[in-house]
Amino acid sequence: MDYPKRYGVVVIGGGHAGCEAALASARMGVETLLLTHNIETLGQMSCNPAIGGIGKSHLVKEIDALGGVMARATDKAGIQYRVLNSRKGPAVRATRAQADRILYKAAVRHTLENQTCLDIFQQSADDLIMEGEKARGVITNMGVRFHSDTVVITAGTFLGGLIHIGLESHSGGRAGDPPSIALAQRLREMPFRVDRLKTGTPPRIDARSVDFSKMEEQPGDNITPVMSFWGDGSDQPEQVSCYITHTNEKTHDIIRAGLDRSPMYTGVIEGIGPRYCPSIEDKIHRFADKNSHQIFIEPEGLTTHELYPNGISTSLPFDVQLDLVHSMVGLENAHITRPGYAIEYDYFNPQDLLHSLETKFVEGLYFAGQINGTTGYEEAGAQGLLAGLNAALRSQEKEAWTPRRDEAYLGVLVDDLISMGTKEPYRMFTSRAEYRLILREDNADIRLTAKGRELGLINDTIWQQFSKKKEAIEQETQRMKDTWVQPDTETANKLNEFIERPLAREYSLMELMRRPELDYKKIAEITGENSVTGVVAEQVEIAAKYEGYISRQLDDIEKLKRNESMKLPTDMDYDKVKGLSNEVKQKLVECKPETLGQASRIQGVTPAAVSLLLVSLKKHRGAKPLATVSK
Amino acid sequence: MNDVLHSTDTIAAQATPAGRGGVGIIRISGKKANDIALQLIQQQKYLQPRFAHFQKFYDNNQDVIDEGLVLFFPGPHSFTGEDVIELQGHGGPVVINSLLNRVLNLGARMANPGEFSERAFLNDKLDLAQAEAIADLIDSASEQAARCAIRSLNGAFSDHINVLVEQVINLRLYVEAAIDFPEEEIDFLADGKVEGDLQSIIDQLDIVFKEANRGVLLKEGMKVVLAGRPNAGKSSLLNALAGRDTAIVTDIAGTTRDVLREHIHIDGMPLHITDTAGLRESPDAIEKEGIRRAWTEIKDADRVLLLVDAADVQESDIKTLWPDFFAELPDLNKVIVVRNKIDKTDERSGVSELNSSHVINDVNEALSIELPTIRLSAKHGEGVDELREYLKKAMGYQSAVEGGFTARQRHLEALKQARYYLGIGQTQLTDNGAGELLAEDLRMTQNHLSEITGEFTPDDLLGRIFSSFCIGK
Ligand SMILES: Cc1cc2nc3c(=O)[nH]c(=O)nc-3n(C[C@H](O)[C@H](O)[C@H](O)COP(=O)(O)OP(=O)(O)OC[C@H]3O[C@@H](n4cnc5c(N)ncnc54)[C@H](O)[C@@H]3O)c2cc1C
Ligand SMILES: Nc1nc2c(ncn2[C@@H]2O[C@H](COP(=O)(O)OP(=O)(O)OP(=O)(O)O)[C@@H](O)[C@H]2O)c(=O)[nH]1
Ligand SMILES: [Mg+2]
Repeated sequence: MDYPKRYGVVVIGGGHAGCEAALASARMGVETLLLTHNIETLGQMSCNPAIGGIGKSHLVKEIDALGGVMARATDKAGIQYRVLNSRKGPAVRATRAQADRILYKAAVRHTLENQTCLDIFQQSADDLIMEGEKARGVITNMGVRFHSDTVVITAGTFLGGLIHIGLESHSGGRAGDPPSIALAQRLREMPFRVDRLKTGTPPRIDARSVDFSKMEEQPGDNITPVMSFWGDGSDQPEQVSCYITHTNEKTHDIIRAGLDRSPMYTGVIEGIGPRYCPSIEDKIHRFADKNSHQIFIEPEGLTTHELYPNGISTSLPFDVQLDLVHSMVGLENAHITRPGYAIEYDYFNPQDLLHSLETKFVEGLYFAGQINGTTGYEEAGAQGLLAGLNAALRSQEKEAWTPRRDEAYLGVLVDDLISMGTKEPYRMFTSRAEYRLILREDNADIRLTAKGRELGLINDTIWQQFSKKKEAIEQETQRMKDTWVQPDTETANKLNEFIERPLAREYSLMELMRRPELDYKKIAEITGENSVTGVVAEQVEIAAKYEGYISRQLDDIEKLKRNESMKLPTDMDYDKVKGLSNEVKQKLVECKPETLGQASRIQGVTPAAVSLLLVSLKKHRGAKPLATVSK
Repeated sequence: MNDVLHSTDTIAAQATPAGRGGVGIIRISGKKANDIALQLIQQQKYLQPRFAHFQKFYDNNQDVIDEGLVLFFPGPHSFTGEDVIELQGHGGPVVINSLLNRVLNLGARMANPGEFSERAFLNDKLDLAQAEAIADLIDSASEQAARCAIRSLNGAFSDHINVLVEQVINLRLYVEAAIDFPEEEIDFLADGKVEGDLQSIIDQLDIVFKEANRGVLLKEGMKVVLAGRPNAGKSSLLNALAGRDTAIVTDIAGTTRDVLREHIHIDGMPLHITDTAGLRESPDAIEKEGIRRAWTEIKDADRVLLLVDAADVQESDIKTLWPDFFAELPDLNKVIVVRNKIDKTDERSGVSELNSSHVINDVNEALSIELPTIRLSAKHGEGVDELREYLKKAMGYQSAVEGGFTARQRHLEALKQARYYLGIGQTQLTDNGAGELLAEDLRMTQNHLSEITGEFTPDDLLGRIFSSFCIGK
């Protein structure tokens, strides 16, 4: 049956990527359908009940700055908040929240159900409707045909999903959910490069069987941080603590004895797992000299006794899981509520994508989330948002928006995936961002919200709130620049008490703030003026403290932009570029970079090769195009 | 398009071939070109475009480096399409080098091979037919750069840089791990390892820099200045080394007033010998100016030959007789004492050296030890060959790093930048505890070192973190 309503965007999958995709497209006023296996699992956290962390919170705040749901849902569900790296500089601080699984899911579903222009339909998507080489809709397993301008696939770990516990394995998309086989088959028929990855999850534990008195308590921060720029934390639920225990020699012996029944070590699992989130058997194997590892015991929610032991993700057989859990202090009598498992799934080589997350082979088809080789809710959500908004833009016949590496972690994420591909599940880290000092979690709104407004992602309420904040920052910055302290005045003398080198000439407040001994608060106290809110003061202070570094990075970015603005045709004929080595040619043909900048980041592409490309681009600009249109 | 293509930084390079020539030209291109020129000639007024201005070029101590023509070609009507300044000075490698260094200090960056042409091309200053030619030019520039790197670096230099890069990467591992994995049991920044490693990299870089500097000397020539009291025989020694009667020699104290330069080769190695006015208190205005210039030369020298009349001065007396001379020298390690006129004493010609690894740290130390000393007769020639031999050694063979290597100015520039960021990073860590800023400075350090050699991506860095530390919840 042909469904009577025609959509601008159909999103397959209601995970973190799918929800952000559907919401973004609908916020832009494009008629959107979210098609998912099960409405009950919309916004489900498949693994650990936490949002944020190093690099990840940066993505969450960017999603938030573009009007997305993740941060606001977190604030409705966060039961323990901490700012990581709080003693290091602002660029690398990251907010992390334990989230109540049920509250989180409810908040996401509530947002989805109340979004205009968005319809939800529960059904498995089995096939795509194609019009030549364009994707024009979706066919469900019941045979309903949804017609649309574009399709966004966010099928997560469900494509060809295979669950392992010990040497047993069965098909599944996630414990308790069916895999997506028909769609996986259909996509494998297309020219995309497909491979397998794996990830795992720890067994869950019943809190009633745990002795917390023997473990170290880890409370949240004293002043509870807020994840969303647009909230004040007043909707946050009750706060609880996490606990810390450790593995020991005995644990390690148990694991070593069970390795012969581990699917990973017996070669049953072929997919590659994440290196930064290794299974406990992996850690013990690779770091044989460490005789103890830290394990965080995290609550799954306020209304459940289930606990998530962070650090013992495993696919060992259940009897070994039980023994290893019991070997740890505080868990001697623990009852396991769900066994841990590993899952293998299909992912598509992200090098077959454009920076808009549209696929290179099929127009109107977008991929986002775990299927692009990433891992994590935040990475998935960020891609979903980008794919959704670009699908909507295509439906509106507008040009795609692709943030650059210097604008957003979102830009870094997508560019890394496309330029380098990935051999293991990709997770965000701050060290992936060369412009880390500019791309902070605290200024995601300043970087992106205006763009979001332009794209139609930001509603009037948020826009007003943002504009007020931005204006206040600008005014306060100006005031700090224009207010001067003369030497030998009363103010100067007060300041001299704090600083090493006394003031020898007149200084503006902005200059003074650069001194390590002074900050906004101290200066405000001494000069007796402090009319702005904490977030505004923070922005002004960071601008002062990072001044030299930021202006240097801005210079670098100027240079980057030059190369970034030079577009390379997707079907550029690299054989026609004189002087390129065969190795470089091969790399370029494989990656099909979209811009000169991207080409320069491909490993093995030398600066000399980039000059040659530049020359050949320029030479042919205005004359006959270098690319030969093959279609 | 044009705006986007405009580069932000200002580049500079010698436009005439290296070596001696009547005229040496330095070209500067970019937004800051005009500013740099105005600071160099210490003028505030506007430079009339496309007009030859005769000016003095000053260093940062207000001393004159050279004089010559300044030409200003405002963009877009210039070779590169940007603001371009051309400085035409005297063609000696030393002058040109000081001038170039001054320009770099004022905010320009050393241009890469072919970069002026590249900019000209990017800014649409050349048409399609010309672009073909430039394509070849850029091409050959990089190929040539590659060939040069292989041939002239002998592999030795790259090896040293690679070792440094490797160590910077290892340090970054710690700093990045501390930032990206704060919940691990070890605090990577607090255990003192980072501080220690940082200092050790700085020390090693300083050694490599010295060696590279020597390498540049090998290629571009070492500057040797003859200094001493009037009548010590400086001009005679210049003539002896040059093998011709360049300087006037008389027995009147205060004969030489101007700075006199001779370019010579010892077994193919270039040397710039400078004769200066004898140092003394003088009421004579001309002589006074000559002495001021002599001091400028001395301070800028790679080696200072301090001449004394062996008949007047006891070997042990030199330093006590003349402590102010040593006090004013910027680097005491550059001084070699030359006892001239041994034909009048019964000294034997020859060299007595300091232990080559000995570094003199201050004046008091210099006054208390035996400085390297050469005994010779400029007039009759005994010992002059030994001096030649000594200078040759000082240039190339006597190196702290096994083997020694050649290098180019561009490498020195990169090393200087790397050193600068290491210094800043050290302050950020020790004074402010700012690990993320140290990380940024280390990244810059590595970038600059990598300009000399290879490439490295952040993903490699993470890969190494994962394989070095057990990380991950
Ligand atoms: C066992 C396991 C362990 C994990 N461990 C970690 C970890 O330790 N750390 C970490 O950061 N991340 C971990 N993750 C990853 C994290 O859960 C995912 O990265 C994230 O949820 C991906 O979001 P997504 O939107 O791409 O896909 P998912 O959240 O998987 O959502 C996919 C959605 O698509 C729907 N769907 C799939 N196919 C179809 C179809 N054909 N038709 C209709 N609907 C369809 C599914 O029902 C589901 O709702 C783990 C995941 C699993 C399963
Ligand atoms: N006997 C002897 N006389 C020398 C020797 N070297 C130089 N003289 C003489 O010393 C006198 C001064 O020599 P110059 O070379 O002019 O000395 P100077 O250091 O250049 O002197 P000023 O230019 O005046 O500073 C001349 O008469 C030389 O002939 C030497 O090796 N032996
Ligand atoms: Mg003389």
